[in-house]
Amino acid sequence: MKERGAILVWRLLILLTLLGSWQWLTGIKAISRTPGFYWIDPFFVSRPSEILKRFVYLASDEVRLTIWQMALSTIQSTLWGFVVGVSSGFAAGLLLGRNDRLARILEPYIIAFNSLPRIALVPLITMIFGFGLLAKIVLAWTIVFFIVFFNTFQGVRSVDADLVHAARFLGASEQQILRTVVVPSALAWTFASLTPSISFALIGVVVGEFLGGESGGGLGYLIIQSLGTLNAADMMVALLSLGAIGVVLALGIKQVEIRLLRWRPEYRNRA
Amino acid sequence: MKTFREEGREVPAVRDVSFEIRDKEFVAIVGPSGCGKSTILNMIGGLVAPTSGRIEIDGRAVTGVPPNVGYVFQKDTVFPWRTVARNIALGLEYRGVTGTEQERRVREGIRLVGLEGFEEAYPATLSGGMRQRVALMRTLVVDPEILLMDEPFGALDTHTKLNLHAELLALWEAKHQTVVFVTHDLSEAITLADRIVVMTRRPGRVKMLYDVALPRPRDVIKLRESEEYAREYGQIWHVLGEEFAGARL
Repeated sequence: MKERGAILVWRLLILLTLLGSWQWLTGIKAISRTPGFYWIDPFFVSRPSEILKRFVYLASDEVRLTIWQMALSTIQSTLWGFVVGVSSGFAAGLLLGRNDRLARILEPYIIAFNSLPRIALVPLITMIFGFGLLAKIVLAWTIVFFIVFFNTFQGVRSVDADLVHAARFLGASEQQILRTVVVPSALAWTFASLTPSISFALIGVVVGEFLGGESGGGLGYLIIQSLGTLNAADMMVALLSLGAIGVVLALGIKQVEIRLLRWRPEYRNRA
Repeated sequence: MKTFREEGREVPAVRDVSFEIRDKEFVAIVGPSGCGKSTILNMIGGLVAPTSGRIEIDGRAVTGVPPNVGYVFQKDTVFPWRTVARNIALGLEYRGVTGTEQERRVREGIRLVGLEGFEEAYPATLSGGMRQRVALMRTLVVDPEILLMDEPFGALDTHTKLNLHAELLALWEAKHQTVVFVTHDLSEAITLADRIVVMTRRPGRVKMLYDVALPRPRDVIKLRESEEYAREYGQIWHVLGEEFAGARL
């Protein structure tokens, strides 16, 4: 407990040092009183005080699209992409993991599609699904699907043959073996892929928002808009918000994972 | 009467193995490692088919996993994602035994192997001996007529092993299943079995069929101090020793 307290204090110290030196260093000039010559130019990295000011402004109802609305849009699309990606990836992994022939037939296509940089798909997806929520979800889905699919597939493939034999001797039908042996052991792998999946879903969504325009909304839109107006403070607001969202989502999913995998020794003391 | 017979599996495993196991008999198969003991067990259990020859249970040839046969593996096959109680309930679940009847039999099983208080524990929190108790009871709770055991206590320390011998014998005295028990531990075979099949080294053949002339019920601790035990041990060891000496390890 004491150790945890000390760690927390250190973390706070680092945060304060970081913010403090950011604020201070962007305030001193290289040549005194000469405009534009800073050691670290706030034009590019802004300053904590400025960022806070912009955050308060963006959170107020003076703007057409508040930061809350944008954050909500990003979170919403991320969760949708995550849910759709995980469920379809799991189903596909289970199907192909159980069906050797189908897996071998489809293997080159899966590898080819997965090797494609997903960002290259953004214009096409936008063309098909428009500039709204749907395009962002689809983009997140194309990434999450493969992460979960490969994990589940591997999980189905590495089901312990002895457990299957044991079940068979206990009188299990093929259906019962699938339900009580294959699915639970595959799920262990699937669950382990949830934490990276939520992070990648967020990546997909933000990339989608870069191109999505105002109708797609989201924090990615704020970033691109700030680039257009060369507004570093707004960009920092978006980045910091994204960081916070990413951390909260990942921690939330981690809790779910620990709960679901509590039978595993490595999760035992954390549940 | 149960008849098990196999002949001629190709070079690696066993060759010209032929013996019969009587109903309610406790048979142990001993031999040096690699002699095909487990292969014989897997053939009886229908996990592998003999290359030639046949295996019959009650006059019917074995093709695939036969009903009413329980198998306790050497490897830990307790389902890690199920609690002790849910593991023991597996066979009942598969057979459609549900509700209070399932609950009653699971509770009875847990009591018989002394795992009260661990019903809701996950296997990862249990010792090796406790996990093997779960595996044993999971198999016994559905009342198999034939019990196949492949070095089930091989990975346990001597003390735990003796405890489990005593428990197994007590459970067996109550139900008298037909047991085929594979081991490389001769003292284990003598302690438990009515009859011992001594195998040659690879390719395994039957070297000797030995009737263990020790009275039942047996006390696993006292038994080892008795003269009869020493005599039986000496006689089999004399034969088995030749095989161990020649085995390439």
